[in-house]
Amino acid sequence: MDPEKILSSDEILEKIEAVCKRHFSAEVDQNECYVFVIDGLKADNFKRLRAYKGRSKLSTYLYSLINALVVDFRRKRYGRRRIPSGVVKLGKWAEAVYRLVCWQKFSFDDAFDFVRIDGLFEGTYEQFIREIAPIRNAPCRENPTFQSIDEHRGSSLQNIADSGSNPLEFLIEKLDRERRIKALKVIRETTEAFSEKDQILVRLVYGSDQPVSVTAKVIDLPASAARRRLKGLLTKYRERLLAEGIREP
Amino acid sequence: MGRWINKIIKPTVAPEPEDHIAIEDLARLADGAVDKAENQHFIRHLNRCQRCYEILQETLKDLADEASVQTTSSPWWKTRTAYALAASIILVLLIGGQLVFNYWNQRPQVILATLNLDQQLKDILLVDDALRWEKGERVNRLVAALQQKGLQVKELNLVVLSKPYYQKKSLFGPKEALHIRIENKVAYLEVKEMNQ
Repeated sequence: MDPEKILSSDEILEKIEAVCKRHFSAEVDQNECYVFVIDGLKADNFKRLRAYKGRSKLSTYLYSLINALVVDFRRKRYGRRRIPSGVVKLGKWAEAVYRLVCWQKFSFDDAFDFVRIDGLFEGTYEQFIREIAPIRNAPCRENPTFQSIDEHRGSSLQNIADSGSNPLEFLIEKLDRERRIKALKVIRETTEAFSEKDQILVRLVYGSDQPVSVTAKVIDLPASAARRRLKGLLTKYRERLLAEGIREP
Repeated sequence: MGRWINKIIKPTVAPEPEDHIAIEDLARLADGAVDKAENQHFIRHLNRCQRCYEILQETLKDLADEASVQTTSSPWWKTRTAYALAASIILVLLIGGQLVFNYWNQRPQVILATLNLDQQLKDILLVDDALRWEKGERVNRLVAALQQKGLQVKELNLVVLSKPYYQKKSLFGPKEALHIRIENKVAYLEVKEMNQ
C-alpha cells in the first residue's frame, strides 16, 4: 500500500468531502473538516495509513479511518464551544435544551420531551415555553433558525415520512406528547435490559437504520437469525409498551 | 434515520472509556471478520462508547453506499441477468409451444386460498429474502402449515413468493393475509394487508 498514492486518488478525496458534508451543514465547517482529515492522514509520515495491517478490507479501513478523524474533528470543535452564560445560569435543563436545539438542531418542542425523559425539567409545557425565552435569545452560530419553533416543525414532519420501516420510530411519531415521553422511557429501559448483542442489534437497526444483513455481520449471526432475534425483541418492546398502556393510536 | 430512537438508545455511558477500539478492528468488525471472543469484547465496548459506536455506524453507512453504487453502476440492459432473461424468453417461445398445448388439453387442479398471516406462516416467510424456494425444509414446513389449516396439499416442488416479506413497521398491526395459488405442485404466494 502506497499512502501517497491513496491520498492522491480522486475517489478518496471525494469520499472525504462526502463524509464531511454528511456531518456538517455549514460550508465553512465542511472545508475545515476536509483539511483536518487530510492533515490527519498525512501526519507523522502517513502514520495512520501505514498502521493498516491488512486484517480488514482496505476500503473498509479507509472508511473507518476517515470517519474516526471526522468524529474527532467534530468533538474538538464541539469541545471548544461554550454554552452562553445566560443559558448556563438557568440550570442543567437549559444547557440541555441549548445543546439539543442549537447544536443538534432539534425543535424546542422535541427538546421539551427529551428534558422531561431525562428528568431535567418537571414543569408543564406552558412553563417550559415561558422559561426558554432567554435561551431563544441566546446566540447560536450553528443554527441560524434557532429562534423559530415553526421552522423546525418542518424537520419533525420530514421525520415522520423518514420513519420508513422502523416500527419504533413509527410508533413514537404517532403518539401525543405525554404518551411519547412515557414510550421513549419504556424503550430506553427495555433496551438497557437486553443482552449486549441485542442492544447493539437494536441500536444499529432501529437507531441508525442499518440493514439487518449488515448488522448481522457485526454481531456474527446469519441474517435470518438476526431477523428472528429482532422480531423477538420487538415483541418484548410491544409487551412492555402495552403493559404501560401505550398502544398505537 | 430514526432520530427519536437514535437519540434515546444510543450509547450514553459517561465517562466514556479511554481504550477505544483500534481503527482496523472496527473495520474488521464492519467486515464481519472477528472471532467470537473479540466480537463479545468489541460489542460490550460499543454499547458504552459513543465515539467507537459512531465510527462504526458511519463506516457501515459508507459500506452500504459503496454496495449500492456497485449494483447501480452499469445500465440494467447490460447486466448478465438481462441477457439471461432475454435468452430464456426466446427459449420459452421456441420450446414452450408443446407445453402450452398440453396445458390447455390437460388442465391441472388449481387450489386457491386466502389465509390469515399468523405467526407460524410469518416465521416461514421470514427465514430469508429468497423469492423461489426449492424443495427442502422450508417448503416442507409450509406444506405442513397449509395442511394444518385444512388445505389439501400433499407435496410442493417449488414455492414462488411475489416479493420478499418483511415484518411490518407497525408494532401493533396491520392484519395481513396470505394469498395462495397452487398449481402443478408449485405454490405462488402473495402477502396483502387485510382491509379493516
